[in-house]
Amino acid sequence: MVEVSNLSLVYGRGERRVQALDAIDLTIPGGSLVSLIGPSGCGKSTLLRVLGDLLEPTSGKVEINGRTPRAVRLERKTGFVFQEPALLEWRNILHNIALPLELRGVDRAEREAKAQDLIRLVGLEGFEAAHPRQLSGGMRQRAAIARALSTSPDILLLDEPFGALDQITRDRLNMELARIHEVTGLTVVLVTHSIREAVLLSDRIVVMTPRPGRISRVVDNDLPRPRSLDSRTHPAFEALVRLGNSELEKGYANG
Amino acid sequence: MADLAANTLSRRAFDQAWPPAALLIGLLVVWELACRALEIAPYILPAPSAIWLAVTTNSAALAFHTGITMFEAVTGFVIGSALGAVLGTGFAYSRFLERGFLPFIIAANTIPVVAIAPIIIIWFGHGMASKVAVTAFLSFFPLALNMMKGLQSYDRVVMDVFHIAAATPWQRFWKMRLPGALPYVFVGLKLNVTFSVIGAIVAEFVQADRGLGFVVMTAYRSMAMPRLWAAMLISALMGILFFLVIAALERLFVRWHASVDETR
Ligand SMILES: Nc1ncnc2c1ncn2[C@@H]1O[C@H](COP(=O)(O)OP(=O)(O)OP(=O)(O)O)[C@@H](O)[C@H]1O
Ligand SMILES: [Mg+2]
Repeated sequence: MVEVSNLSLVYGRGERRVQALDAIDLTIPGGSLVSLIGPSGCGKSTLLRVLGDLLEPTSGKVEINGRTPRAVRLERKTGFVFQEPALLEWRNILHNIALPLELRGVDRAEREAKAQDLIRLVGLEGFEAAHPRQLSGGMRQRAAIARALSTSPDILLLDEPFGALDQITRDRLNMELARIHEVTGLTVVLVTHSIREAVLLSDRIVVMTPRPGRISRVVDNDLPRPRSLDSRTHPAFEALVRLGNSELEKGYANG
Repeated sequence: MADLAANTLSRRAFDQAWPPAALLIGLLVVWELACRALEIAPYILPAPSAIWLAVTTNSAALAFHTGITMFEAVTGFVIGSALGAVLGTGFAYSRFLERGFLPFIIAANTIPVVAIAPIIIIWFGHGMASKVAVTAFLSFFPLALNMMKGLQSYDRVVMDVFHIAAATPWQRFWKMRLPGALPYVFVGLKLNVTFSVIGAIVAEFVQADRGLGFVVMTAYRSMAMPRLWAAMLISALMGILFFLVIAALERLFVRWHASVDETR
């Protein structure tokens, strides 16, 4: 469970002061998948980076299972996937996925066995020895997801992980993510620009507005699980998309 | 499979090697014929056969002098590159060092080596140490600068990945910044290949009683031009040999980088 209370974050000062987050309150139930959506600049990445302890808030409090983001990160219980796969070019896929375990000092046999399991989980069998340059964008992002899962995190944070992919690959990886979420029971926070992606995947959609970054509405999503691409034909799906869109448009109108 | 790979590998090596080899042979033939047909004076342009004769009749002495210069060049190359790498690392990690020292390093690098060589020889004596020092001086700068650039070239998102994984600064250096710097390091090393042979020979010009630079100077004074040409060509071959060694190491260590094309 993630508890964010009265969280504010200010970049810069004086002329260049930007209130990226303003008094954010948010609760994310343990094991749920929550999407953050909103116009560019509304602070989605900033909020996610605070949850991952890549940024310190100016004020307010964040707790993940009762602990600070820093404590969770230092225990290697934070998984983070960025828009770019950010793999090490000189390592093969297996060793890229095993990197966080290697950094933690897990011995070779153990970390490679774990990486091998994750390779199966994300469907990269046969590419263990390939180097990132030899893989497609979608496959690289699968490797990045596997790497984020390698330390068995308590929380998985994804910042527009599929933004750079074509629609078909994106659909496929969406389903992978849904499956991973359902089998691992991880708490997942997903930043996305696509309301359809948010409705397809999440239990809860958090719509944000910019200047200053605030939460304008939280939409609960009761589409039945397990989700599949067919969930998009469920009668509630389009209604949720419309609701999300109208909420999003308010943000753009203000911005 | 392995056979096929080995075959295509030697096939590629052959494809790469034959054009320059054919050109070289052609050049030697034209050169030899021109010298004979046009009766070019040997001190203007000795024929390849005359140069070869100078090599074979002086082979023991030439081998000795080549060994001296090679030792100076390699030792200076290693010392200069290592010191450059260390200082470049300091620059990459400390804004203070970079701001404070870099301007002086750049200024020092613009000093012509022929001007600094006599000073270094005064400091380091008349033996090989001074030749090594001149070579090291020349090899220092390319590595300092490329090491700095290489260590600073890391991807910010990869840095975030290491942060999320709670990596120590030491781990960030060994597992991210240093491997990422290697392509730059090899740019510096390849420059140093040329500089190291130049450094050793220029230092020998200034003062020496052995080495290829010494051979060039004495041959020049006695107008023994085939011998001078022989020393010059040997130093060129030495540079090519060093370069091939560095290029092989580069292929070994940075095969992953786009600059090393795997399909060739
Ligand atoms: N390092 C920074 N320094 C100063 N301002 C920043 C910095 N990072 C973000 N900002 C500002 O903070 C605000 C929120 O940025 P953030 O990146 O969190 O938005 P976002 O919702 O992720 O946008 P996008 O959809 O474009 O990724 C923006 O106005 C942005 O310009
Ligand atoms: Mg963002």
